[in-house]
Amino acid sequence: MPYCYYTCNLLPLGLIARAGYTPRWLGSRLVDANAPARREALSIHPMTCPYVTKLVAAADALFAGSAGGEAEERRSGPPSEASCDRGGAAGAAGAAGAAGAAEAAGAAEAAASSTQTRDLTGALRGDLGGSSDDCLVVPGGCDAARRMGDLLAATYPELVFVLSMPRSAGPEAVKTLAADLRRLEDRLLTRGAMTPAHDPKPGLAPGTAPSVDYPAVPRPGGVFVVAGPLTDDSLLRLIGRLGAHVSGLESCTSPDRWRPLATLDYAAPPAPGQTADAAVAAGAAGRDHGDLAAKMLETGMCPRRSTTQRRAHLGRRLDESRPASIIYARQSFCDPGAYDALLMAQLARERGLPFLEIEVDFPFEANGPLLTRVEAFLEAQLLDDDLLDRLDDRLDDGLDDGLDDDLGDTALS
Amino acid sequence: MPGMADVTGDSFSASLIRGAFLAQTRWKAMKSRTARRYMELHALSASLELFKPGAVVPWVSYLFPTELLASYGITPMIPEIGAATLTGTDLRGPVESAADRMPLARDVCSYHRIALAAVENDMLPAPTMCLGTTPLCLGKECLLEMLALRYDAPFREIRVPLPPDEVEASSEVVADVAEQMRVLHEDIGRWTGRKPDLKKAIGLSNRASAAWGRVMAERLAGRLEMNGRRTFATVFLGQLLWGTEEGARDFERLLTERGRSDLLAPALDEGRRLKRLLWLHTVPHHDSEIFEMMERRGAVVIFEEMGQMHLETVDPDDPFPGLARRLTDNVLWGSSTRRARLNVALAKRLKVDGAVHFNHWGCRHGLGSLPVVRSAFVEAGIPFLAIDGDALGRGGAQQEKSRQAMESFLELL
Ligand code: SF4
Ligand code: SF4
Repeated sequence: MPYCYYTCNLLPLGLIARAGYTPRWLGSRLVDANAPARREALSIHPMTCPYVTKLVAAADALFAGSAGGEAEERRSGPPSEASCDRGGAAGAAGAAGAAGAAEAAGAAEAAASSTQTRDLTGALRGDLGGSSDDCLVVPGGCDAARRMGDLLAATYPELVFVLSMPRSAGPEAVKTLAADLRRLEDRLLTRGAMTPAHDPKPGLAPGTAPSVDYPAVPRPGGVFVVAGPLTDDSLLRLIGRLGAHVSGLESCTSPDRWRPLATLDYAAPPAPGQTADAAVAAGAAGRDHGDLAAKMLETGMCPRRSTTQRRAHLGRRLDESRPASIIYARQSFCDPGAYDALLMAQLARERGLPFLEIEVDFPFEANGPLLTRVEAFLEAQLLDDDLLDRLDDRLDDGLDDGLDDDLGDTALS
Repeated sequence: MPGMADVTGDSFSASLIRGAFLAQTRWKAMKSRTARRYMELHALSASLELFKPGAVVPWVSYLFPTELLASYGITPMIPEIGAATLTGTDLRGPVESAADRMPLARDVCSYHRIALAAVENDMLPAPTMCLGTTPLCLGKECLLEMLALRYDAPFREIRVPLPPDEVEASSEVVADVAEQMRVLHEDIGRWTGRKPDLKKAIGLSNRASAAWGRVMAERLAGRLEMNGRRTFATVFLGQLLWGTEEGARDFERLLTERGRSDLLAPALDEGRRLKRLLWLHTVPHHDSEIFEMMERRGAVVIFEEMGQMHLETVDPDDPFPGLARRLTDNVLWGSSTRRARLNVALAKRLKVDGAVHFNHWGCRHGLGSLPVVRSAFVEAGIPFLAIDGDALGRGGAQQEKSRQAMESFLELL
């Protein structure tokens, strides 16, 4: 089954799977930053967010290598793809992929002088390129993402589909998005070398969706983290290592976002007594793209959306998770993130919560200065908490003494 | 001489100073009798009204159809123009320091950073409504909606889908945008309690459009060579005046030799042919040095991408579709491929010697389309230079680098 890569995960992966593709988040196929760049690699302006910068490089490496690398790719396949394929219709291909994992790792070393792609599940492999059946969908939510789509579509016209994403979720915006989703689906189907498949939960297969999850169950009184796209939970783990805990995560790739999107499909939920397959088939017949578009917009309440709605959403999340502080991890050169951070800072002020904004790379890396800032921020709070605890103790002691006195007096009388 | 700092207050003395300041500007306009000077006078005088207590202050996006406001006798407050004007006055220092103190990330478009700092520090009037348009960028929509929230003002966005690359936007899309404008026009009346006269505003806007359209046609035909930088500065301010009596008269002044005398490109220099350049995107408003250097080196900007607006009149009896078409098919809107195609065609038509793209600080829309635009020019065999800079900047290392790049480019030409 060919891959349909995608950039922003604000996509109904069910629709992609139905069209005969295995959805795959491009964020898990980044080019190794240390590998020498190809001479003709696409270049973009340095004042672009690292997420877009890295995804352009990843797509370029995949598609530029697709002609020559296709056979190799099919032969070996990266380790994480094996399980992914097994979950879909092409189980046999998946098994072959698993067998080829060791080969892929070897190929990576041999290809030291060529571009390398790094699968974020851990394996480093050579640029094996994509298949000519593979394609890419770029949801163009912000200007940077839209322009990334433009660049890739101009470079690989047959392989790239740019999907416009509205800011609002009004009826007209839903209608336009529904029409675009229909066009996307038709295009995937007409491109399709494959027969449409039915996989009700494609995005839950490993490697298909960004699968960031909480390392520990979030609980009140800790840090609420707001971030752009994350490849893994290292930011959350860092907070844990520094002695604090996490109360919630709001990110394009947070579990409350990617999970519903990964299974989003226009299939109706099974009616009582109906099998899952029958429900999927019924959904395919209905193909209600309007409903799908509305659900997408409801789930993806991200920084580039309407500020009013986003504010309400963030306020709700803070009220639910009851944090003691907020860290905003913004990608540099991210416009929506810049304004969103202001909004979050205001929400923090209104709630009397300490707020820290940090600028992060993609993938997240806890470098020296950043680490120091987070550490200092968390330490200050732990110190505050400590002082408060001690103050509480002193007050308690004072009250107890008073009580003892009172009791003493009573006893004497 | 009074400065901007003295004229932006709402006290009685400020209003006296305002009067004196305007009298001076009027004197300059009367002496020169050029469209440029009159446009400056009228834009300034209309804008100063916005500082009066109780004024209706609509913060709008650069491409907003201001005729919808002129219909009610309201002047728009365009953040990009506000920021460019303030940074050219004695308020530059204070507004820059205010921006530095602000928590908004430094890597966003400087027009928006400065405008935000200005309004938060009483250097620009606070909005009573915020009206956006999807074109051109997301950043200004984020800014406008955030301001609406902060100042408890209504926010509306005219949602404009991206046009197809090769053809015009469909009539359904135009009808949808037209309908949004019609509803918004009514809303403005409801919010302000004023009576509209859209027919009159459209009539006046059409007079201006007819004049500007003729000037642009002459320029495109090569019969009239105007200084692109100055012309852009004039049209930039003119955005505040579409649909007003002053705007109509000022644009009509461009039809006379006297009226455009200070906008003409330098004449041929003792038989030496000047290198004629096309300028893409905005210009450095306060850095005349680079343009002076270009002239010394025998080059001149004879056309500017951003001047191509309001070139057709609209039907006064049914204005919304015409106003909508200006947005849906705006040359600056759409994919990078569309932008590249239109600009290469423009360059060929004008037979320019080269094109210069100004990479304005923080503009994801412009920077993002650069690779596609550049390769289209290279493919067409038209010399192309992209220079980094800040449209509001003055001097500094970056400007020096750009100046050097320009020098090398001109040598190459
Ligand atoms: S929203 Fe921000 S991080 Fe995401 S693609 Fe756009 S600029 Fe990059
Ligand atoms: S320069 Fe770019 S980012 Fe700034 S207002 Fe214009 S289009 Fe938007």
